[in-house]
Amino acid sequence: MMNAAVTRNQHWFDLPSSRAAVLCLAAALFIVICALPAIYMFGVSLINPDGELSFDNYRRLLTERRQYQLLLNSMLLGAGASALATLIGAPLGLLLARSDVRGKNWWRLALVVPIVVPPYVLALAWTWFAGSMKMPTEWAYSLTSATVILGVSFYPLAMLALEAAARRVDAQLEEAALLVAAPRRVAMNITLPLVAPALSATALVIFVLAVAEFGVPGLLRVNVFTTEVFTAFAALYDFGAATALSIPLLLITLLAAIAAAIVTGESRLTSRHSSRAGLPLPLGRWRSLVEAALLFVLFVCVLLPLLTLALEAGSLRLTTAALGDSGRAVMNSIVLSSVGATLAVALAMLPGYMRARMKSRRGGHLIDLFFITLFAVPGTVIGIGLIGLWNRPGMAGMIYTSPLIILVAYLARFAPVAALLLSAGMQQIPVSFEEAAAVAGAGWWRSLTKITLPNLKTSLAAAWTVAFVFAFGEIGATILVAPPGESTLPVRVYTLIANTPSGNVAALALMQTVIALLPLMLLALLMRHWGRTL
Amino acid sequence: MSRLKKHAARLVGLLLAAVTLAACGGSHSTSITNEVTIYVSTDRVFSEPILKAYEQKTGVKVQAVYDTEETKSTGLANKLLAEKNNPQADVFWSNEPVRTLALKSRGVLAPYQSANAEGIPATFKDAENYWTGFSARIRVIVYNTNLVKPEQAPKSIYDLADPKWRGQIAIADPRFGSTSFHVAALYAELGDEKADEFFRKLKANGVKIVSGNSVVRDLVVKSEVKMGLTDTDDVNVALEDKQPVAMVLPDRDGMGAALMPNMVSLIASAPHTEAGKKLIDYLLSVEVERELAKSEAVQIPLHSGVEGPKNIPPLNSFKPMTLDYGKAASRVEDVVKRLQPILGL
Repeated sequence: MMNAAVTRNQHWFDLPSSRAAVLCLAAALFIVICALPAIYMFGVSLINPDGELSFDNYRRLLTERRQYQLLLNSMLLGAGASALATLIGAPLGLLLARSDVRGKNWWRLALVVPIVVPPYVLALAWTWFAGSMKMPTEWAYSLTSATVILGVSFYPLAMLALEAAARRVDAQLEEAALLVAAPRRVAMNITLPLVAPALSATALVIFVLAVAEFGVPGLLRVNVFTTEVFTAFAALYDFGAATALSIPLLLITLLAAIAAAIVTGESRLTSRHSSRAGLPLPLGRWRSLVEAALLFVLFVCVLLPLLTLALEAGSLRLTTAALGDSGRAVMNSIVLSSVGATLAVALAMLPGYMRARMKSRRGGHLIDLFFITLFAVPGTVIGIGLIGLWNRPGMAGMIYTSPLIILVAYLARFAPVAALLLSAGMQQIPVSFEEAAAVAGAGWWRSLTKITLPNLKTSLAAAWTVAFVFAFGEIGATILVAPPGESTLPVRVYTLIANTPSGNVAALALMQTVIALLPLMLLALLMRHWGRTL
Repeated sequence: MSRLKKHAARLVGLLLAAVTLAACGGSHSTSITNEVTIYVSTDRVFSEPILKAYEQKTGVKVQAVYDTEETKSTGLANKLLAEKNNPQADVFWSNEPVRTLALKSRGVLAPYQSANAEGIPATFKDAENYWTGFSARIRVIVYNTNLVKPEQAPKSIYDLADPKWRGQIAIADPRFGSTSFHVAALYAELGDEKADEFFRKLKANGVKIVSGNSVVRDLVVKSEVKMGLTDTDDVNVALEDKQPVAMVLPDRDGMGAALMPNMVSLIASAPHTEAGKKLIDYLLSVEVERELAKSEAVQIPLHSGVEGPKNIPPLNSFKPMTLDYGKAASRVEDVVKRLQPILGL
């Protein structure tokens, strides 16, 4: 199989050796930056305090009854949040892609807001709201409410993914089917299978985000693996135990990823090259009702939490030190997250390409699992791993003592998810395009840059945006590796909210949300501009 | 296409230039000897002005890394531990004893006896000079004055296990921060059996365990519970806001209230040891204790003769718990494991 692939490559590309060399280099760089911190920490977890090889940290995982409850809670949290986010997000995405709802651009922008609100802030707003409504504390502080908050936090991902996928579906396929089948059957048998891969991939990403989230279960006092990892670090200073405790998290992720792959199956995707988007979905007399439903979602998921924050912020005096003097941190955050997102996409591009052009199906799946597992490694584990790897005399130390280490942390955490998104996008571009380019005499690099990448615009933009949003809110690794001096906005917010009245916290949280939204709006404008000029 | 590429190339170029600039600006220093790096777990709003004043006074550049509230990130103690083989910090300023003692036992700290520590009572200093305490906070009972009359308010932390307050008490997660110190102190003072017993009763009384001391205060302010255990500075924030709360310094007639000093330590093999020592001298000065007492941190000076904070009773007017800080803090990890099943954490 491998041999066959190689000989065929030699037919396709004029310089197979340069291709192999560049790809190997890219893969090595990806592994050093993204995987090595986790591998290093895994090594630490296998060494006991006396410096000997020991499995004590793992024996605990199997013997303590507490671990089973944690496993159950983590899985419920992940599955529940993922299901809820998909239930809210997928219909919204479909409406945005196909229906004749008025003011779609505005709806999209407004409904995407929860993704830039840190989930922790959403949870804070919820506890304040529950408190002011005199809800029983058992309600507010529960697994259920943690699940709902995470579902609300992440539905925009499902919305955007489904919208993109529904737009990519070739209208000709649906039109052809409509000649012989009823619209409902077309939707079930043509449209749904075509958007299913995107939907299940997003559901998986949301699952991973939810099981890896610390802030919400921490605040709502739900015991899951992330809070246990946190306790091992923060209360017991036990790096080995903390890393061992994140292994079940990775196993859950692996299981979910395998389940998602089985559900999706191996659908053959086509890319859209007709000038028309998918079939329209005219709402007719239902339009006003649908718009009312959108308004309801907007109210519950966006306006209510923001309003709660605003009320909380308004009812108390503000510390000028908190809101003022944040200029440098805001600048740092914007620059570092944009550069970080750009580098993450660049770092992920070739590994994503390798995965997409993999001949072996099983090999491809394994690499997907590798990407998604890396993405699930808790930020704190990555942070401690990065210190261990980079804090040493010489070049590495120079990077460690400069803000560049924050970029390395962003890459380590978010290049894997960028690779996942890019490889999914590239798989939708038929290999025949590159074959045609090769026949016409183009080298592989030329066909990659002139054929594949231009066809990948939306995936590139999506991967960049996702990396940017995550980087902008990153706290777990950043706070550990950030050098002295002003660092990023979330770090500033977190270091300031200790001991300030809840009003200040609310004001800072609002500010972070608004500032995270600005670059996104800019990006949306830029994309529209590009869309027009292309 | 070419336009897209041009746009993208220009954007990437710009961003890279910006980050290079930021990187250079961040790490560039005019003279290595003229700076000092401090990791600070005392709230940034309180510690930053103190460090800025030192910069102004001496011209030494203070590179500070601030911590978050204990329950929000794994924090600086872990950073210091991870950096042990190639330390970046010179000084660690902790707002409570537990983390300092954990770092001492793991070989992160170096001994240093500051001349300015002389006026500080011996209880608040390490016999081996690995740490020196200054400006203290107290663990107090905070209650809502709309819901509880001053004469009904509990006088002892034992009263929190009284069934008449059932479901009306909040404490912060005892695995972290100053609450972890408080429970360790109680175990040291009462012995394991009595302490276990107390926490079992507290649990049976429906104690609400929340994520931090500021949350305890907020729940009391919002009348969601009647009272809770928290720190003096947390209560002071509410007092300054004219909220209906008051505090009790517990166990005046019994074991006394737990006093929590800030602790400052030199880092072993620090990059700027001498500059670090000078900064420690400054932090242990009467001047800094006065500032921390005057500010909203309302910390109690440990040097005698320094004016105390306005909302807090002076050191000689209440009974502090007699504690061996090293011994109490060394119990934390063990106490955490004991309490997990008792409180259902």
